[in-house]
Amino acid sequence: METMIAKAAALLGAGICMGIGALGPGLGEGYVGGKACESIGRAPEHANLITRTMLIGQAVSESTGIYSLVVALLLIFTS
Amino acid sequence: MSEKAFNLKKVIIIFFVIQLILSFFLYKKVHIGKDAETGKFSVSLVTEYEDLQETINKDIQPDRYIAEEKLPNPEQFTYNSKTIYNIFKKWFGNSAVLNFRLWRMLFFLDIFIILFAFYVRKRIKFIPSKIQLLMETFYLFLEDLVIETLGEKRKRFTAYFVTLFLFIWISNQVAILPIPGISEPTRNLNVPLGLGIMAVLVVHYNAIKKKGLVNYIKGYMEPLVFMLPLNAVGEVSKIISISFRLFGNIFGGAIITVVVSGLTKYIIVPVGLNLFFTMFQGTIQSFVFTMLALTYLSIEIAE
Amino acid sequence: MINEYAQVTLFLGAALSTGVASISAGFGEGQTAAVTTKAIMRQPGARDIMLRSMLISQAVTESGAIFALVISLLLLFGGFLDESVDLAKAFSFLAAGMAMGFGSMGPNFGSGFAGSNACDAIGRTPSQHIPVTTNMLIGQALSQTSAIFALVVSLLLLYTVPNMAENQEILHQVVKACAYFGAAFAIGFGTLGPGSGIGFIAGKTCQMIARYKEKQSYFMRTMFLGAAVSESTAIYSLVVAFLLIFM
Repeated sequence: METMIAKAAALLGAGICMGIGALGPGLGEGYVGGKACESIGRAPEHANLITRTMLIGQAVSESTGIYSLVVALLLIFTS
Repeated sequence: MSEKAFNLKKVIIIFFVIQLILSFFLYKKVHIGKDAETGKFSVSLVTEYEDLQETINKDIQPDRYIAEEKLPNPEQFTYNSKTIYNIFKKWFGNSAVLNFRLWRMLFFLDIFIILFAFYVRKRIKFIPSKIQLLMETFYLFLEDLVIETLGEKRKRFTAYFVTLFLFIWISNQVAILPIPGISEPTRNLNVPLGLGIMAVLVVHYNAIKKKGLVNYIKGYMEPLVFMLPLNAVGEVSKIISISFRLFGNIFGGAIITVVVSGLTKYIIVPVGLNLFFTMFQGTIQSFVFTMLALTYLSIEIAE
Repeated sequence: MINEYAQVTLFLGAALSTGVASISAGFGEGQTAAVTTKAIMRQPGARDIMLRSMLISQAVTESGAIFALVISLLLLFGGFLDESVDLAKAFSFLAAGMAMGFGSMGPNFGSGFAGSNACDAIGRTPSQHIPVTTNMLIGQALSQTSAIFALVVSLLLLYTVPNMAENQEILHQVVKACAYFGAAFAIGFGTLGPGSGIGFIAGKTCQMIARYKEKQSYFMRTMFLGAAVSESTAIYSLVVAFLLIFM
């Protein structure tokens, strides 16, 4: 019976984890994208360099999102 | 200016008076068809009291109504023939009524659009008539957008986008007609989903045709190599997002109109709601769908 | 007794759905209106164009709240309590309401930001209003994708949850109920980030397009790239929500 309560709590926690864990990366990547657009406007000859930098920055800030995904999956699938 | 104001007030007053008179006939319906008792063809006024929950159930889930068999007038739901209903029930099971209405509506809509196209085509002259001018303005507007996004060489895609826009727009505007049994095709989930899948498949087909298979797959590993599954899931999410945006807005508008009109006893509110949801949102959502299809295409094959 | 709980959760879910979603919709639309008014003060000659763009952007922002209203109406009038429900299904109503309510907050903020920046940009360069309005619509539609994910999860919670047999123990039902709650939290709060982020990108892109019309394709391509990467976080939340509902 205790395992049942633990499982219930684990499922609830998985949801909260992914939910709040997606806040940071989403906002951050959006901000980076916006600023990238602005800088392309000011210096369009460097558009490729700016795009590459934006993507690298977004991939790094994605990593915390991936951590929350991993934790959520672990909570769902292990007892 | 003062003449305009005077006419506007007169129109509004007439409108209110008509609505007030009509509200006395709220629960009376005109029944055209075979009279139940005498078996002869007749036209009569029938008083039926229908509660809000029943109106909504009849609109949204008509099959449950048939299954529970508490119908006062079964013919109107089974298309006046049990055999047609049984055929559809064998094919579609629990959603026979909705799918039959969809098929019927799409059939008539297609015939109407084709006849309209032939009508306009026959009347093309050097000095344009009004309807030719209207269609040409609309076509040129979309052609400018397509040339700007895709380049001069890809002008031939304009026909596809104009068709998409016109079909979705007409399907959305059909909701204005208050005839029972007519519901707009985009209200069923199948139509927007089919249109979304078709739009995304067009994009992928053209991308493979232009870039070749190897470059196309390399395009999925665009920033970093391990993004391949994420980009693949992103394509599926494109289909879900454009279809469900159209479906959610139109079906949602229909539900809101039915429920809120029922609550206010059909006085004045249906006109305002229809104006907003059907005319305004219908136009905007069809434009957004076309623009998104255009933009997805331009990412892959722009020069 | 379960039926009374079911009524409580049904009404609570319907209330939360529209109530919470309207906060952000109002905020976004109000921000658009405020910035547009200021821009009209600066350039009164272009007020028709700006008014039109403002109305269009507010209509798209409204669609997030429309989805929430649809879920509320479906909950109230869809006849869900005609048959007896068990504990898990009762909680799925509350979860559906929460998912849609909280799930529209981010996209509405983002769409409001995009709309306000676009109207501001049109105020500065009124001759470019067509490309800017087109780009604003596309950006807002990208931002609303997260709200659509929330709508899909809500509809799944309402219509595909089976009514379990009567003789299941109460603890299995509690586990399922917590799973649905978790799914609602996952998609509910998971769209805050991507929604506002993509709205920010769209706003900045509109401003840049108004300034430098000839580089429009660069800007749109960057916007799409940034939006796709940002959207992947919302896809993670969607995947977790699906796993929680179906397992």
